[in-house]
Amino acid sequence: MTSQSTPNDPTQNPRKPLEGIRILELGPYVALPLTGRILASLGAEVIKVETNKVLDEMAFIPAWSRGGGQPEFQRAKKRITIDVRTPDGLEVFKELVKVSDVFMTNFRRNILDRWGIDFPELRRLRPDIILMWQTGLGGIGPYYTYKSYGILVQHMGGVSLMSGEDGEPPATINTSYSDYHTGVFQPVAIMGALLRRKLTGQPATMESSIFKSGALTAGPAILDYQSTGRMPQRIGNRDPFAAPHGVYRCLGDDRWCAIAVQTDEHWAAFCRAIGSPDWCAEDAFSSLESRLSNQGRLDDLVSEWTATRTAEDAMTRLQEAGVPASLVSQGKDLYESAHLKARGFYQPTPFYLADRAKPAYEWEAGDAIASVSPPRMSETPMEFGHYSNIGEDNDYVFKELLGMSQAEVDRFTENQSLY
Amino acid sequence: MPFEAPADGVLLPPYRVLDLTGPEGVFCGKLLADYGADVIKVEPTTGDPSRQRPPFANDQPGPELSAYFLFYNTNKRSVTLDLDSPEGQGLFKKLAASADVVIESFPVGHMKTLGLDYDTLRENNPGLVMASITPFGQTGPWKDYKSTDLISVAASGFMQITGDPDGPPLRQGNEQSHFPGAQHAATAILGALFYRDMQGGTGQYIDVSMQEAMITYYTDAHPALAWMQRGENVTRVGTNSTLVIPLGAYPSKDGWISAGIITPREWENLSQWMYEVTGNEEILNDDYKGGNQDRAPHNDIITALVIDFTTRFTSEDLFHQGQERNLVFIPVNTVADLLEDPQLEASNFWFELDHSEAGTLKYPLGVFDSEEVSPATKPAPHLGQDNDAVYGGDLGLSETELASLRSHGVI
Repeated sequence: MTSQSTPNDPTQNPRKPLEGIRILELGPYVALPLTGRILASLGAEVIKVETNKVLDEMAFIPAWSRGGGQPEFQRAKKRITIDVRTPDGLEVFKELVKVSDVFMTNFRRNILDRWGIDFPELRRLRPDIILMWQTGLGGIGPYYTYKSYGILVQHMGGVSLMSGEDGEPPATINTSYSDYHTGVFQPVAIMGALLRRKLTGQPATMESSIFKSGALTAGPAILDYQSTGRMPQRIGNRDPFAAPHGVYRCLGDDRWCAIAVQTDEHWAAFCRAIGSPDWCAEDAFSSLESRLSNQGRLDDLVSEWTATRTAEDAMTRLQEAGVPASLVSQGKDLYESAHLKARGFYQPTPFYLADRAKPAYEWEAGDAIASVSPPRMSETPMEFGHYSNIGEDNDYVFKELLGMSQAEVDRFTENQSLY
Repeated sequence: MPFEAPADGVLLPPYRVLDLTGPEGVFCGKLLADYGADVIKVEPTTGDPSRQRPPFANDQPGPELSAYFLFYNTNKRSVTLDLDSPEGQGLFKKLAASADVVIESFPVGHMKTLGLDYDTLRENNPGLVMASITPFGQTGPWKDYKSTDLISVAASGFMQITGDPDGPPLRQGNEQSHFPGAQHAATAILGALFYRDMQGGTGQYIDVSMQEAMITYYTDAHPALAWMQRGENVTRVGTNSTLVIPLGAYPSKDGWISAGIITPREWENLSQWMYEVTGNEEILNDDYKGGNQDRAPHNDIITALVIDFTTRFTSEDLFHQGQERNLVFIPVNTVADLLEDPQLEASNFWFELDHSEAGTLKYPLGVFDSEEVSPATKPAPHLGQDNDAVYGGDLGLSETELASLRSHGVI
């Protein structure tokens, strides 16, 4: 059935890193689909199981229904429709487990139990399968039945109360960033487990959670608190090792330039770049220590300089002098960026406008962009890949891969098991 | 290098990784080391600069006591090497000839000026995988621009969507830029090793731009696409969200609680509960029903009603009672809360590591919980502690040669 690590066949060159590895993905939102997209970009055959009856809510979030998220997260996969809650659907799903190297899901245990998806049984069906079970809060332990969303779990990991200004509400991000930590940890674990299986013959079951991924990133503050009892201070955009350090208002609506002067060399370059005003020579700013103790006034003076120019102009002048600086990028900057264009970062892609009233194959198509997977690999470039709509690969998977007859596929489609 | 089985209970084969990175890539080496790779941190003879970074364990400054260094270098070995000297460069080439992976984050072109670029290193080791993790990548008009954590979150646009709409863009307190590029690099490195060892491929070079990696860390907001399709600027929303309504952090009786209503069914449950508790019928208004975007025009009034509700409960009560109603309320934790959290305690997240100077501390290591594999558990290395084992043992240099390298300040 599925090939594992077959020797390199010269007629098939160039092979892809994960060629011959088949991964079965069941679950919505951000982290799990991102893991699947990365593994698909590395050449795995990722089969994404969905149903038109219960759509991924992410398809309706503004940028997403307009094509933002789904082509980013579901591309390069084979997308099929199975309602695993139906007896026939569950049987077909189990046939797929038998021909897969990896099964990954982000449903909670009580949900999987209700549907009749049981990890020990999956292992009996395919003894060497790698199981990656992603949860929000945890697969075992007191919260194992708890429902959660990645965009909220960022607050649970401790980082929100390390960010922003002292005395202000927790600084939060208009995105579910902890999901992304988990989404990019999981490919490491899955590839590691596949290598280990090859070398030891042993499969593995691994559980990850968005809570744990987020909490891990609070690392140094966790050690400091244990050792000294000190809680992280919230200092906004300031930095204990740099001044001036922050964002400074520029010409235009909500336009800012970030500047980070870390060393005396940066400071000298900064002063030259802004035309060596008299205040640059003051003792109050002559060393990092003095700049840190006079930050308020320093920030005002820097703002006077930035306020009369665009963020891009401020950035360019400072960078050309060797000072770390950047405009705070808005969507337009990213979309039009000459740098990102030179690197081919965004690529055109179709999308399908999500509509609850219709099955996905009736959705309207349109044009969007999606980013390439960030690593640029010299021998095996990450594949951008085709963007399938939900159910687009049913024929390939059910008929070619599983060998089902047309009559059987028709019957299960009609009774909405494969829908 | 031979393709060897991992030790019992360890995930990754003992791949030899030479880690030359600064803050841009230090987490990449840590991730590989925590899961079983043999990661050797190659430090200047004066030590990695981050060893001097406060805060220090027990508030005692010292090169082995930086909390930052202790966290980001678990399970690595340490050697010292002066890469600016010809002898040091020669020694590095020998190390690289027997390594699986080199990771570096120097300014673009620096490795070439040292004579240690990928083309040179692979001459003696065609299977070598090398990854560069840099602020803007190896190509493009910004490739030589300087960066820091602040600059990374600005250039990627991450800051544009963090904080209050009436205030400036904000940086996160955990130095967020340490993670996206480093994690993507680790993924690509394993992909490259998989290609080499499972598909009969060669080694390869990997270019990771931190800016790009950070942009892909918030693709659910997707500002570039919002601009392309609607001419809209995705921006800061304070503790709310434009993606899901209601969603955000709200005051509770004893702190902050976050909440998010994503499905129509959740809205039914929440509005009913809010009505039971507050007696205010407004929340049952038909205009507010439906999916998360259906409530967008009413965000302000709904937020006020939600706050009237959340301030009547403690955060813990909302967290647990919400689950009984199939609703997601999540506490906003401090680092102290994390150390006491029963879920983290039960899921093999913490590992006590005993460091000879910093003492025994609980480290957050267990991103994956598994009966078959668990993280390695060595604390961060002392400066140069593995010089003899690596140069003498692995490279086979004699005592005399080692002594000469020491006296010339090469190691």
